[in-house]
Amino acid sequence: MNAIETRDLTRYYGELCAVDHLTLSVNREVFALLGPNGSGKTTTVLMLTTMLRPTEGTATVCGHDIGREGELVRRSLSYVPQDMAVDIKLTGRENALLFARLYGVAAPKDRVDELLAVMQLYDRADELVKTYSGGMRRRLELVQALVHEPDVLFLDEPTLGLDVAARATIWEHITALKKGGITIFVTTHYMDEADRFCDRVGIISRGALLALGSPPDLKARLGNDVITAQIDGTFRDPGMNGITLFAFANDEASFLAENGREALPVLADAFTRAGVRVRSLSLREPTLDDVFLHTVGTPEEPAGFDQTKFRTMLRRRR
Amino acid sequence: MRGVVWYIERDFLRWVRGRVAVFSALVMPAAWLIFIGLALPIRFTDNYLAFITPGILVMTMLSAGLSGGTLLMFDKILGFLNKFLALPAPREDILFGKILFVSVRGLIQVTIILVIAVLIGESVYTPVQYGLTYLILFLFGILTSAFATTLALYLEDHDSFAAVNTMISLPLFFTSSALMPYSVMPDWLRILATINPLSYAIDAIRAVNAGAFPSVQIAALTILGIAVTAMSVRVFRRVTI
Repeated sequence: MNAIETRDLTRYYGELCAVDHLTLSVNREVFALLGPNGSGKTTTVLMLTTMLRPTEGTATVCGHDIGREGELVRRSLSYVPQDMAVDIKLTGRENALLFARLYGVAAPKDRVDELLAVMQLYDRADELVKTYSGGMRRRLELVQALVHEPDVLFLDEPTLGLDVAARATIWEHITALKKGGITIFVTTHYMDEADRFCDRVGIISRGALLALGSPPDLKARLGNDVITAQIDGTFRDPGMNGITLFAFANDEASFLAENGREALPVLADAFTRAGVRVRSLSLREPTLDDVFLHTVGTPEEPAGFDQTKFRTMLRRRR
Repeated sequence: MRGVVWYIERDFLRWVRGRVAVFSALVMPAAWLIFIGLALPIRFTDNYLAFITPGILVMTMLSAGLSGGTLLMFDKILGFLNKFLALPAPREDILFGKILFVSVRGLIQVTIILVIAVLIGESVYTPVQYGLTYLILFLFGILTSAFATTLALYLEDHDSFAAVNTMISLPLFFTSSALMPYSVMPDWLRILATINPLSYAIDAIRAVNAGAFPSVQIAALTILGIAVTAMSVRVFRRVTI
């Protein structure tokens, strides 16, 4: 039995399809759902944590159906939303104790002490959270999430707004939790973090899962080399054998090449012939960023501005 | 139902640590009591303070109850509600915790207003009379906080909540029997005052002070309180899944 299993999970908001027949299984790993804003990441998490009913399809968490066995599902998971919701007028210990008691943990005080120590918050546990840094607040949320020893942990943008050191600490803890047997499902915008710390990633765009695999696999599938060219003004794809353009934004064009070293001079020639001024050319190995751009497409508004859709969206927010 | 206790403890700690907010809510009713209750030249009674005190107690409870809706509003805006909803504990505990906390907090504020009233000359009543007064105010508190909580679930942001709040609180107060007896009201106001739930609570407290048991008003407040709480639960269930 996999910790998370979804079959054709679908959610519509009126006409808009937020999640489109998502089929996925995740088990005892760190899994990241990547996607542009509004691609359906949070909607997926809200459905899996029983906060939102799917329009179609099913999913199980630890074998429990999210529609029929909501309480059992919530008993086996923890959810940390991206808002950083900890009470600043309570101490760290009080914040954690609240959750231990709400979960009905057997010895709440001991359990909280233990976790505060693990998350390196023990020394400051009796200070008001007002005095905590962003990284400390995030760690306190992990304490709250772990009090009842969940099997699955959902983290929505766990490192959003944190400095580099705090991010590294959060990922260390996530990795340690995975080694302890917890399944961790994160959503993130940070490709480099997904690349380094996640076992598998899924790329979702407009509700549909477009790519799924481990970061090395996905990068290998993309091809051998990536060439980026900084250019002035506009240009058309020169169209050469074995060199394909896959992203163009902010005067930066990215190409995939079978053999980067040989492609470099060919590309430079093509640009010269087309009368395009090239400021720099660089050759590197593909990153998860390239995989993302190649899968999702250039980050521009996909369908332009749709007046009716915009109005439905506004109406829904009221 | 044990979750209710922990949710109340959380709100209570946040309230007493807010310091300013603990007292600022008392300024308005205290000012009414002192500046209107003691100073207004009234012809229908020679002890206006005794007449207006029940109205001010209910006003204290009304503003405590209505402003209590902001608690759920901010939990919703700041992401706390989502975290609580993802817990296995019964979700309605969140709602009942809020309604109970806001009502009890109102009773604490009422106590301070009552002390001020006695200090400036209001008569002292028997423990049974005070007990009944607290019961009436508690029922009224459940009614208003359940209403405000439902409103907070419906509305999207804090500004519109505050706007609705100020829009209804003063008109409700002025169209009740708080400031004058029914006998001196113009006809149109008498009709409004008779159907205003604030009047039920105010008239009930006046009856208690006069030595009677206001069974009709207590029954009406209980039924209204249960109805609005039931409506609140319905709205809560609908917006949370």
